[in-house]
Amino acid sequence: MAITHEKPKRQFLSGAITRIREFTMISRDPVLFLSLMISGMIIFIFVILPIYKTVSGGFFTPEGQWDLSYFARYFDDYYGPGLRLAFMDTMKMGVLTATFGSLVGFIFAYAIVRCNMPGKNIVHWLALVPTVSPPFALALSMILLFGRSGLITKKVLGITYVQGANDIYGMDGLVIVQTITFFSVAYLIIRAMLERLNPSMEEAAASLGAGRWHIFRTVTLPLLIPGLAGSFLLLFVESLADLGNPLFIAGNTTVLSSQIFLAVIGEYDYQKASAISFVLIIPTLVLYMLQRYYVNRRSYISVTGKPASAQIIEKDPIIRWSAIIISYLICAFVILLYATIVYGSFSFSWGVDFTPSLRHWEHTITRGVEAILDTTFLSALATPFAALLGMIIAWLVVRKKFSGKEVLDFSSNLGGAVPGTILGIGFIMAFNTPQLSLAIVIYALLALFFAQAVGKNALERITILILGTGAGVLVSKLETATLYYLVGGIYILIGLLQAVQKKRFATVAAVSLVGLYLMSTNWATQLAKPISDFSRTLERGFWSNAIVQFSDHLKTLLQPPPSLMAIGMMVVGVVILANIQKRSLRIPLGIAGLLVPCALFFTGVPFALVGGAYIIMAAYIVRSLPASVRAGVATLQQIDPSIEEASNSLGADAQYTFRKVTLPLITPALLAGLIFSFTRHMTSLSAIIFLVSAKWRIVTASILSEWEQGGVSIAAAYSTVIILFVLIAIGVLSLITNRMFRGRGGVDISQGF
Amino acid sequence: MYLILDNVTKTFPPRGGVTEVTAVNNVNLEIRKSELVTLLGPSGCGKTTTLRMIAGFEFPTYGRIILDGEEINSLPPHKRDMSMVFQSYAIFPHLNVFENIAYGLNVQKLPKDQINRRVNQALELVHLEGYGHRAPNQLSGGQQQRVALARALVMEPKVLLMDEPLSNLDAKLREEMRIEIRRIQQELNITSVYVTHDQIEAMTLSDRIVIMNLGVIEQIGTPMEVYRFPNSHFVANFIGRANFIPGTVNTIERNSVVIDALGKTLVVTNPRPDLHVGEQVTIIVRPEAVNVQPQNGNYEGLVRRAVYLGNLIEYDMEVSGQLITGVETDPSKMEVIPVGSKVSVGFVEDCIQVLPAEKANG
Repeated sequence: MAITHEKPKRQFLSGAITRIREFTMISRDPVLFLSLMISGMIIFIFVILPIYKTVSGGFFTPEGQWDLSYFARYFDDYYGPGLRLAFMDTMKMGVLTATFGSLVGFIFAYAIVRCNMPGKNIVHWLALVPTVSPPFALALSMILLFGRSGLITKKVLGITYVQGANDIYGMDGLVIVQTITFFSVAYLIIRAMLERLNPSMEEAAASLGAGRWHIFRTVTLPLLIPGLAGSFLLLFVESLADLGNPLFIAGNTTVLSSQIFLAVIGEYDYQKASAISFVLIIPTLVLYMLQRYYVNRRSYISVTGKPASAQIIEKDPIIRWSAIIISYLICAFVILLYATIVYGSFSFSWGVDFTPSLRHWEHTITRGVEAILDTTFLSALATPFAALLGMIIAWLVVRKKFSGKEVLDFSSNLGGAVPGTILGIGFIMAFNTPQLSLAIVIYALLALFFAQAVGKNALERITILILGTGAGVLVSKLETATLYYLVGGIYILIGLLQAVQKKRFATVAAVSLVGLYLMSTNWATQLAKPISDFSRTLERGFWSNAIVQFSDHLKTLLQPPPSLMAIGMMVVGVVILANIQKRSLRIPLGIAGLLVPCALFFTGVPFALVGGAYIIMAAYIVRSLPASVRAGVATLQQIDPSIEEASNSLGADAQYTFRKVTLPLITPALLAGLIFSFTRHMTSLSAIIFLVSAKWRIVTASILSEWEQGGVSIAAAYSTVIILFVLIAIGVLSLITNRMFRGRGGVDISQGF
Repeated sequence: MYLILDNVTKTFPPRGGVTEVTAVNNVNLEIRKSELVTLLGPSGCGKTTTLRMIAGFEFPTYGRIILDGEEINSLPPHKRDMSMVFQSYAIFPHLNVFENIAYGLNVQKLPKDQINRRVNQALELVHLEGYGHRAPNQLSGGQQQRVALARALVMEPKVLLMDEPLSNLDAKLREEMRIEIRRIQQELNITSVYVTHDQIEAMTLSDRIVIMNLGVIEQIGTPMEVYRFPNSHFVANFIGRANFIPGTVNTIERNSVVIDALGKTLVVTNPRPDLHVGEQVTIIVRPEAVNVQPQNGNYEGLVRRAVYLGNLIEYDMEVSGQLITGVETDPSKMEVIPVGSKVSVGFVEDCIQVLPAEKANG
């Protein structure tokens, strides 16, 4: 290796100098700087800040007084026993689910990889179905089958429930449901391990005279331990985070996630909810870190490598067939559960009259159309942002060197790792009350970057910074409509200026469109009104509801919260205004470009997002981010970094290289990210359950409320709709990917789950 | 001089610790036009970093890089008019062979017919006529290597950079490609910098070899110079094999020097001028410059090991307490002298290099 110089006395100083040098290097690379800035900011605002708010919220009364009473309750005699029992039950649920889930996952993996199982492709996809269905679909179906008036328990077996008898509700039912829901994760992890286990190791052991069982005990199992431990810990985390299943099927058993839910929904006590969240987040984070930093490092098998070429096939017929038959049985059970959901949605009155009927579907597509369309709209709108952000973060993590990379990587995963309820509470606490200080900090950071990118020397930068901010603050005091006309007008003027300078038509059009979009905030209501008026002329039903929703969505598209629009305009400004050559233009345009986001930042109450559509989308994005980051990382790691350098050395600049080389190569990952994100969005419950409002209904939340009101079949119909939509989305996108990337390795859909 | 590296140093920011890593330390190198210079050294010696600095993928921490009289330190890679062949080939997997080779010409927005003509010429040059429509994954490793080479050559760059281009090929193909690359380079008279850790590659290809170790240039010279007159222990050991024999300078004469070594005196002609009487030195003798014979040699030796390798016989002999390796290549002497035999050992006079002891060990 190369020489290392010891400079003990100047260590600190040289460390600081290196940091500064690194920072200047990064700021010289605007693409890197911009992506780092944006991803860091989004993660800070929507991951770190909410989690911090939740965690710290348990220690303060709503008035801001230091207060530990909710934690003290764990140790007193009145609340103590109940609280401690809930904690122990949660841990018990985690351990049982993780154990059984890993076991089932192992059997599936073994049957598929080593037992030459007939129909293994179908089994593989069936094993993945639970990951794309809403979190409580299986609980719902278990109740339909085995509940007190279940199809099997009541109709087939003729059992009538008597008080005190053991029914499906409780720990046993919960663990069964969670095992089926989460075993896919274990299956994927262990399968990857098994496939990459080099067969020659076991062959070596056999050639040294070891018997089959001996080999399994001394070679195979120890090599798989990291995979098994990893899957155990991940399932444990998933189980603790699960809200849907415990709400449905836990019966009298209480677990932490449902306690948090009840504290918010039932008691409206955020301090209590935060305190329980704190109790829940500690084991979750410990397990998560253990999985990420300990188990992954101890792994003997590199999961990034290619699968070993040949696989050992299990020869013992008893082991082989028991693994196969168990897998078949579980698949059959999965099919039964999902068929029940569909059947349940068509039954006249579950438990009483099983005759087929369309009445629940009529209800679902007339009254429920609002929730279905809202959910699909928000999920779809959030999807490109989530996939893009995931791609950017993956690119930063895989390709770029900078301090704090590990932090970015970890915190981008955090949003998906912490229980969704905790995130949801944090969103409410962070974005309900005005956050002027937050807006100022974020504005300051972005404005510095803007000035750095647009100005060419210190004087220019300071001028742009001061005048732009000053003008922006003044404009922010204007009446809202005037404000939007003004900022939109600025962009249209910039577009006209570019037209005069004979820029490309596409650029001029894009800039002017941005201006029009800003102005259209003022026209949104007028634009949407005729559409909703038209819907009123229709007969009440599916179409009238759907058209009202459409007008709502249009309005939402045109009226994002000003603070989010400001962040976007900052980026747009940098893209348009960097690299202006003429000095006389640079400064005024820089000032105008900074004025726009500044005015938007400080008009009204910054970051008051609760109740709107955008906070739900933010929650969606945060939750799906880990999956799309993983898809991006997996793809980027397979692309040789010298491919980009080759393009560079052939005379192509960064922009050309990105367009002609990087983009075509990462498109499969981007599409995979789209699939994962959309699936996650459609099926998420825990993170958004506190964020839904009368205006924005989400199907998963509607399922819960229908269920609470006894509308089992309507809940089943909603679940069917979600599963159907997700499957359609996956089908369409994988069709596109296969068409586009025939012959050079499409997307492994299972990668992101 | 066409390409000059003037006091170039590259330090990398610390990873984990606080100590900076100096990958390339004060390198001075001058490359003539149309010359092929090889950077040779073990992995981690700084040869790839040096090449990447020439290419513009890394910027020197100190020092200057001058191309054709112009400092290019701060020029990004795409403005340097150099093209690089990568170890992993770095063929664009989404483009076919023709599109790969045409990539750089398309960047320059040349007219279509000119692109066609130049790409076809390049294909011909690397013997891949008719492969234009193949996808990269339909090519063998050797063919991919040729595409990578053609893609760089078609740009008619001022300097062609090659980063261990043959290390992923099997031995037979590597031998073939070595000759190909040299042929093309001389045909086009293209100034080239070639990085490798394979000494035979360096010997066959280069006009001059730059031997690097631990970020520093150890020696620069033609293949013959660096083999016959290595100026350090490292170079002697890295290129070929050598016996290192300690000795002391006895007397210095006009064109020769007498050295006490292995209990006797040894006369070396054309020694380094900086030796002085009484100095500790190391004598470097290549195994093929060691004569093994029944009598008439300068020294008495005892055969400790004898290996018959077909084209030669390798002997390890103990001469006054030190093991000396010698090879017998004379086909008329292919009778193996048995282990334990007493032999007479002599050194071929012109093939002995004497270095000051501290330099040799340094």
